[in-house]
Amino acid sequence: MVTMEVLRTCSDGQIKRRRPGAVAHICIPSTLGVSCDCTTALYKEAEIKRINKELANIRSKFKGDKALDGYSKKKYVCKLLFIFLLGHDIDFGHMEAVNLLSSNKYTEKQIGYLFISVLVNSNSELIRLINNAIKNDLASRNPTFMCLALHCIANVGSREMGEAFAADIPRILVAGDSMDSVKQSAALCLLRLYKASPDLVPMGEWTARVVHLLNDQHMGVVTAAVSLITCLCKKNPDDFKTCISLAVSRLSRIVSSASTDLQDYTYYFVPAPWLSVKLLRLLQSYPPPEDAAVKGRLVECLETVLNKAQEPPKSKKVQHSNAKNAILFETISLIIHYDSEPNLLVRACNQLGQFLQHRETNLRYLALESMCTLASSEFSHEAVKTHIDTVINALKTERDVSVRQRAADLLYAMCDRSNAKQIVSEMLRYLETADYAIREEIVLKVAILAEKYAVDYSWYVDTILNLIRIAGDYVSEEVWYRVLQIVTNRDDVQGYAAKTVFEALQAPACHENMVKVGGYILGEFGNLIAGDPRSSPPVQFSLLHSKFHLCSVATRALLLSTYIKFINLFPETKATIQGVLRAGSQLRNADVELQQRAVEYLTLSSVASTDVLATVLEEMPPFPERESSILAKLKRKKGPGAASALDDGRRDPSSNDINGGVEPTPSTVSTPSPSADLLGLRAAPPPAAPPASAGAGNLLVDVFDGPAAQPSLGPTPEEAFLRFVCKNNGVLFENQLLQIGVKSEFRQNLGRMYLFYGNKTSVQFQNFSPTVVHPGDLQTHILSAPPALRSQVDGGAQVQQVLNIECLRDFLTPPLLSVRFRYGGAPQALTLKLPVTINKFFQPTEMAAQDFFQRWKQLSLPQQEAQKIFKANHPMDAEVTKAKLLGFGSALLDNVDPNPENFVGAGIIQTKALQVGCLLRLEPNAQAQMYRLTLRTSKEPVSRHLCELLAQQF
Amino acid sequence: MIKAILIFNNHGKPRLSKFYQPYSEDTQQQIIRETFHLVSKRDENVCNFLEGGLLIGGSDNKLIYRHYATLYFVFCVDSSESELGILDLIQVFVETLDKCFENVCELDLIFHVDKVHNILAEMVMGGMVLETNMNEIVTQIDAQNKLEKSEVRMENAIIKEGSQHDDNLRMICSFHCLSFSITL
Repeated sequence: MVTMEVLRTCSDGQIKRRRPGAVAHICIPSTLGVSCDCTTALYKEAEIKRINKELANIRSKFKGDKALDGYSKKKYVCKLLFIFLLGHDIDFGHMEAVNLLSSNKYTEKQIGYLFISVLVNSNSELIRLINNAIKNDLASRNPTFMCLALHCIANVGSREMGEAFAADIPRILVAGDSMDSVKQSAALCLLRLYKASPDLVPMGEWTARVVHLLNDQHMGVVTAAVSLITCLCKKNPDDFKTCISLAVSRLSRIVSSASTDLQDYTYYFVPAPWLSVKLLRLLQSYPPPEDAAVKGRLVECLETVLNKAQEPPKSKKVQHSNAKNAILFETISLIIHYDSEPNLLVRACNQLGQFLQHRETNLRYLALESMCTLASSEFSHEAVKTHIDTVINALKTERDVSVRQRAADLLYAMCDRSNAKQIVSEMLRYLETADYAIREEIVLKVAILAEKYAVDYSWYVDTILNLIRIAGDYVSEEVWYRVLQIVTNRDDVQGYAAKTVFEALQAPACHENMVKVGGYILGEFGNLIAGDPRSSPPVQFSLLHSKFHLCSVATRALLLSTYIKFINLFPETKATIQGVLRAGSQLRNADVELQQRAVEYLTLSSVASTDVLATVLEEMPPFPERESSILAKLKRKKGPGAASALDDGRRDPSSNDINGGVEPTPSTVSTPSPSADLLGLRAAPPPAAPPASAGAGNLLVDVFDGPAAQPSLGPTPEEAFLRFVCKNNGVLFENQLLQIGVKSEFRQNLGRMYLFYGNKTSVQFQNFSPTVVHPGDLQTHILSAPPALRSQVDGGAQVQQVLNIECLRDFLTPPLLSVRFRYGGAPQALTLKLPVTINKFFQPTEMAAQDFFQRWKQLSLPQQEAQKIFKANHPMDAEVTKAKLLGFGSALLDNVDPNPENFVGAGIIQTKALQVGCLLRLEPNAQAQMYRLTLRTSKEPVSRHLCELLAQQF
Repeated sequence: MIKAILIFNNHGKPRLSKFYQPYSEDTQQQIIRETFHLVSKRDENVCNFLEGGLLIGGSDNKLIYRHYATLYFVFCVDSSESELGILDLIQVFVETLDKCFENVCELDLIFHVDKVHNILAEMVMGGMVLETNMNEIVTQIDAQNKLEKSEVRMENAIIKEGSQHDDNLRMICSFHCLSFSITL
């Protein structure tokens, strides 16, 4: 930490004497006493009271008849600023501030501009007035006023201001007679407008003159110009290309100057550090200079900077070394950016290596960060690797978590086949003591490295199991899904995996994720170790079952699936397992999922023949290879910028995969969401036969041979969709060829939907492919649809498809089902809305009248309410309405509304991300045959959407 | 680009906030609280950089801060700024404050909101660095002060009234001030 030489107190601890002058009186008198020390609630309350009083005072002063003099205006505006800073809303004073803008007095004008740049949002009425004042000041030719106006534009930077001034500012910037300070401000003002709305800033002949500002005498102007050019040249590199040689010569002059040459711009004996950094940044926008002379001069500069780093410091002050190193790090960034001078790259790497052991924490942090990018260059990858011990040491001993995190990043970046085992084991060891904040990230990194550089898969399996052992809570689904995928896909490791999980499960306390992995692997591959009497089938079963009661519902569900697999693999365990399934705790379990599994598995095991059982419970087929879901997750975690850095880590050509398919390739990056990866793990498909098709008869009602025209039978798809808002089962679509039936169930934010496709003709459908696209925030994955995946559907036959649906957030558009097939050689295609609407995820909520009204009042913002008055389309029958409302998903609350004719309901929409509480009220008016429907929810779009949906039902 | 400049004291009370990107008033306060939370729990002698909080824009942003006695100076910047450069800039800012206020302390920031903003405006504009030369900045500020004084002289009468008011006040709050004037 820096010294505190700058801020000193007065010796006796008393408040020091204010300097005389007007400013001293513009304090915040009445708020000060309380606002300074509000550690207690008492003070907080006092502060609010005090501030409200003060606000009332100021308001009355502004509103009063007596015209305020300039000084008072200034005083009150200042007070408002301070009150705003403390976090209180300021809803007046804007007009007074705008008035101050047109004052002739500098002080008043200044305070007006200050208020506006802090407090004004795009209030259109005021913006016009403000723009007017700015226009006057820009035209005033008074440099002080011009600067104030430019500052205001730059600070507000709204589009309206851009429209008003974008054309004027380039003129001011390059005008020959503009003062230096005005030029400086104009450059940054233009930059700000360009960033806010690039389309408003016209490029023109001024661009060439802007580049020449790099030669300006005034260093402040150059600094501002460099910032501007760095931004502009991103879009039009060619227009600004000439800046390279100018920047290089400017840089060269600074770097080679003595520490006294630049006078005021020398900062603690370092000449113009800020400008140097900016110039080096600018050069990073371009490839290395083509002109040999320019390039030579630049390389010379870079070498000089590297040389200077070795010289003894000219001052012991930390500011001196900071400034010097700021230039040095930027130089190294430029060298890494060019990535073409092996000599410089290695020197840069050595320099960073020195910093890795520097006593300044900041330098160690920055060195680790820069080295991360250096590791991806083929010239310096090896040089970076030589620092592995230092980096590992940093991971272990650094006191600062930010630094440790950089060290972990660097280890990840420098990892290749030669050092993977060392790095992974160090990261695992670190994980035991790592900060909670970064554990998950480290787990992901270890998982990726272990998979990527695995030479033998037993090491990989060991590593992941270790991960679960050490940091089970931080092992996300993606990680353990992935190990199962890999084990399933590689038969050379299955036996080892089974043996290892079996041993791991013997630990007295093992993490639930371990039970999940163990349950799945033993269920699939337990037979591979069954020969050993120590892990005979009954032993395996009793080991797993000993964990059963300690596990969550999801894990228990998985274990039940393992048990039925055991019955198939090891007939000798059948009796024991059937006993377990038959137990009251399973068959009458309060959880529907567990109960259903127990019932179905029990029946399956007793009804089905061995052959059927073996077919149903066949070993899982290999998973299709695609981008590692873990990598996708890490990328999501790090944000888009870091994702490329992660990939850069593997530019090393030698690391190409023996591990096939793990490497992300551009074509697979957009694979479906990772959780779709392991089909059936989240909730294994019920292996029971599809509900004996009651519909088989009516599916074959008619056989018309009319391939040309297939008018829909019955309701149009839109009508059919609407009918499903209040019910879950029925016929979604029917024409002369095809009938699509739907059966669905929803619980919390999850849903499962069975789609039955019936071929009504006597001819086989070919290339039959139903696919689901979900545009919104709904995650659907097709769970298990082997029959539907078969591309033929025989005449008169029915196939079933199961969709598992998870609602991630509230959504408005339903997923689309598109069905394509060939009938008699003619392609057929249809697209339907799947009947999944937000109300399906309703959980009814019962509440008393009092609670209802209280909540109703809480949701009183106008945007939280949606109301619709509409004419009844159906006879107004109270019972039917009631049924519809219940089908819609809300609870019906009796005795809440004073009028018994009215209906009142409440419920909570469950999504993965959030819950939305909903209250509704439906008021029928039998005389007018009208309804009034009111919905209040905590989210505005939801209110409107539900209101629309429900209004169409009556 | 600099996204925000925040100054708060050891208790998290804001003493200056300047946002160069539009955030709603509520978000501004939340950002201040979040930043205080992130920065204040760090030990002395750790590094001066950390990843930004979620509200300010997540890990693509850095918080670069210095802690002087009772005050934290925090700059939230995106990846286009040099970390050490910003650290220098904070130093320049503080040194400039010190020159303009003759031994700056926390109270100066409270009593002279406008002044602090003006000094900052000479250094940073619209999120970009305008001037790093301290002498230049101080010259500008001095010029402003002169202008002010010449204008104030014309309003002599008001000054008298004002100063009386101010004196009363100072007595009221001197008791509070003891606890938080900046110590070396």
